[in-house]
Amino acid sequence: MMRAEPALPLTSRAPSEAIFHRGHDAVTVQRFLAEVAALAAILPDDGPVLNFCADRYLALLGFAAALSRGQTTLLSADRTPQRLADIAALHGARYALADTDIALPLPVLRPHAAAGRDAPNPPIATGMIAAIAFTSGSTGESQPHPKPWGALVAGARAAAARFAIAPGASIVGTVPAQHMYGFETTLMLPLQGAGAGHAGPVFYPSDIAEALAGLPAPRLLVTTPLQMRALLGTGIALPPLAGVISATAPLAAALAAEAEAAWGAPLHEIYGATEAGSVASRRALGDEGWEPYAGVAFDIGPAGATVAVPGLPAPVPLADELEWLGPGRFRLLGRRGDMVKLAGKRASLSGLTSLLTAIAGVQDGVFLAPEDLDRNPRARLAAVVVAPGLTAEAVVAALRERVEPAFLPRPVVMADALPRDGVGKLRRQDLLRLARSR
Amino acid sequence: MTTTLSLEAEVAGLIVEALHLEITPGEIDPEAPLFGEGLGLDSIDALEIALAVSKRYGFQLRSDDERNHRIFRSLRALAAHIETNRTG
Repeated sequence: MMRAEPALPLTSRAPSEAIFHRGHDAVTVQRFLAEVAALAAILPDDGPVLNFCADRYLALLGFAAALSRGQTTLLSADRTPQRLADIAALHGARYALADTDIALPLPVLRPHAAAGRDAPNPPIATGMIAAIAFTSGSTGESQPHPKPWGALVAGARAAAARFAIAPGASIVGTVPAQHMYGFETTLMLPLQGAGAGHAGPVFYPSDIAEALAGLPAPRLLVTTPLQMRALLGTGIALPPLAGVISATAPLAAALAAEAEAAWGAPLHEIYGATEAGSVASRRALGDEGWEPYAGVAFDIGPAGATVAVPGLPAPVPLADELEWLGPGRFRLLGRRGDMVKLAGKRASLSGLTSLLTAIAGVQDGVFLAPEDLDRNPRARLAAVVVAPGLTAEAVVAALRERVEPAFLPRPVVMADALPRDGVGKLRRQDLLRLARSR
Repeated sequence: MTTTLSLEAEVAGLIVEALHLEITPGEIDPEAPLFGEGLGLDSIDALEIALAVSKRYGFQLRSDDERNHRIFRSLRALAAHIETNRTG
């Protein structure tokens, strides 16, 4: 063990800078630190803590307070009570921080912002596991991805530099703070990069327009193709924007062109994964090439791609097929294997299928991805199920307890048997025909 | 002037059409929750409904939380909200 462990302060921002907007209230770094200290003083002695506050400021406050007490935050973008309880049990959460009423088998505290007298900016060891993010594994259970403090800080600073975010920028985000992309762009960016976050809630087009209009320029919108589509579809007017960032799904060229024309601001896309965080970006219009973030190194080979990220102990395998376009620029070819991505969350079809066939009364079954899954932001999975005695509704009800809503199949086709060939393999074309037969 | 009952049927049709649901509008229980249990919609669907409502009825859904819960409680609640707020 090294004697002096390297450390970075909780925030890199100057005391008088705005770090967040709550309604019309701008919270300075000084006040934020005083509120962190006050909350930290009343937190239970031991973590980890499951933090699923919907209010972004409370989410940041809870994360920072736990961090200053040496406690790891568990980030679950999935708020299904069953999933929250599973994560809490699997990873030994000692308590939860939430701003909604929810019954969980552990103490749930509601954080509130009240400033104490002191406003320390404590040093945090770069090797400390500040947060753990989760993905659905190939068998359906949650896979933990520990995030050392140093990696989170490096990512935030790389993003601030890449997008040249002004210190006084207002950042309106539409992705949950517990989703890795949302966590990085709406909590870590104000904490360690630049700009001031917005507490929310921001979900519908009118929320986005109102939030942006209520904040000082320059304004940055951090969102997803799905929400951009809704914003443009409603034709709602936005105040002048300095930039738009999209992630979670490929952005169709037509949508990107429409967005830049409507909002008159550069639109950038981030490439990342929960395991690695944000690792590359590109200008969405007319540029196929992704440029890695500063300090990030991709290794693209025939067996797949890995990415080495500053602060993470080992290179991270990626679920996408990549190809070099030229020095320092790569192209995204598609998903590998049976991974699917919906509403910014990844799952494997085989993992979902094993959850399906584990339901009591289900004899056989399979999840299917439609052909247009990567192009159509509204695409859904389908399932063909053999379960005499169960209705499609009952199957969906049972799945709802184990599967995130975005992955619930629509349609569910009940069949007498699955079309299997002589060696028991499923024939995809026959399955698709069956799924479309209704 | 639209009566609540016929607007309810109209909104049921809008939901089925906007979300490509595999049911007929008449199969939506007007009192059942639209999200979670019941019709089983999720946040992707909420955005689609907001988009369809703004196009058809000329006003925007918003997420000030408490009220939003009420609006999406059921088809009947959503139709009542539309009747109060519609401009088109």
